[in-house]
Amino acid sequence: MITLLATAAENPGVLENIQKTFGLNMPFFIAQVVNFILVIVILKKFAFGPVQAILEERRNRIAEGENKLQQIEKQLAEAEKTTAEAIAKANQEAVRLINEAMHGATTLSEQSAQEALAQAKQIISKAEAAAKADRDRLSLELKREFGRLVAATTTQVTGKILTSDDQKRINEAALTSVES
Amino acid sequence: MRFLFSTSIFWLLGMLSTFAAEEHGGHEALPLNAQRLHESLPITNSIIMVWIAVAVIVLFCKMATKKMALVPAGLQNFAEWAIESLYDFLTGLMGKHLGQRTFWFFGSIFFFILVSNYLGLIPFVGTLTYGGTPILRGANADINMTAAMASSFALLWFYWALTENNLKGFLAHIFAPKGSFKGLMLVMMIPIFLFVGVLEMVSIAIRPVALTFRLFGNIYGGEQTMESLMNLIPKGLQLYLSWLPALPFYFMELLVGFVQALVFTLLCAIFLKLICDHGEEEHH
Repeated sequence: MITLLATAAENPGVLENIQKTFGLNMPFFIAQVVNFILVIVILKKFAFGPVQAILEERRNRIAEGENKLQQIEKQLAEAEKTTAEAIAKANQEAVRLINEAMHGATTLSEQSAQEALAQAKQIISKAEAAAKADRDRLSLELKREFGRLVAATTTQVTGKILTSDDQKRINEAALTSVES
Repeated sequence: MRFLFSTSIFWLLGMLSTFAAEEHGGHEALPLNAQRLHESLPITNSIIMVWIAVAVIVLFCKMATKKMALVPAGLQNFAEWAIESLYDFLTGLMGKHLGQRTFWFFGSIFFFILVSNYLGLIPFVGTLTYGGTPILRGANADINMTAAMASSFALLWFYWALTENNLKGFLAHIFAPKGSFKGLMLVMMIPIFLFVGVLEMVSIAIRPVALTFRLFGNIYGGEQTMESLMNLIPKGLQLYLSWLPALPFYFMELLVGFVQALVFTLLCAIFLKLICDHGEEEHH
């Protein structure tokens, strides 16, 4: 090719010969340039323009969709995180409430038990006091009855009417011997 | 059934084509140059083919883009696939910026060459004659057409190279030493790279010529081969069988038509990429 061009440059006849052989003709060359420009304009206007516009629109839509999808995914992740946090918080609250309830129940149970114990002690002490009072009363009545019986028996046996001092003395002696 | 039908169609078209050639006198070899249809008309048979190619492209584009929809179907789908594939290929090769900027040209070049090459394979092209001159001739089998495309590219190449690099960058691209030379080494390298720059200018000057003759040679060669193969059949049988030897080459020409369109586009794109390539700067 270089040799061809060099030869053509040195000898104008060669270039003319090439033009003649291959039919390289200026008017036809210009006509073909015009035709080619026409092709470019037509393709740009009717093919590349609309098709590239729609491709660009689709590309934008896909990008937009991708962005929205990413946003949705992000929001979903945030929502899941918030939900998980709320659940964890609720769990903590529930555990705290349960613990508090258990603690309260234990305290209440202990209080109730203590109250019951106190009440029971009180009842027992009242019962003991009542029993003691009954016993004292019965003992007193028994002493009196015993003294009266002893005095009556002594009076009957001795035939002597006993004074208060005698009755007191005989009663005390009788009681001492009974109690011992 | 389908095989029989398609074979019959081939046979019929081949016979019609041959019949047309015989009827109007025929010709032994395809002339190197495109011929005027009439002395009074400044129109050659290849110009007619260019107009037909333009009409086909316009028709296809109008049909494909008639009802543009976001969800493509039919011809729109095919057009989008073809354009997007080429666009992705070119932007992959030249980079997004340059690809976007120049796609209108490279896309036009590719589709025009492809359509023209395939139209040249249709029966009657080259065989249907008027007053002994073929009415139709493959558009790229005319050197004026290939030269028109190559020289258009050469002009645009200069424009794009200057606007992308500015004049200083453009000259530096051609003449400045490449690499990180310093001191004495740089001084020694300057004349070498100046000489390389001169060679580069010769190479740049040759590019449109090479592009012109490569495409013309391949397409003209293909048509000439088919013509010669059709003439292999004896005269008496030519009407019925001359299509037969050329048939396998039709398939090869289908491939050649596509490959040549791709080669022309690819070479133009590479030439532009080479001059607009900023090397390491691009990585920054």
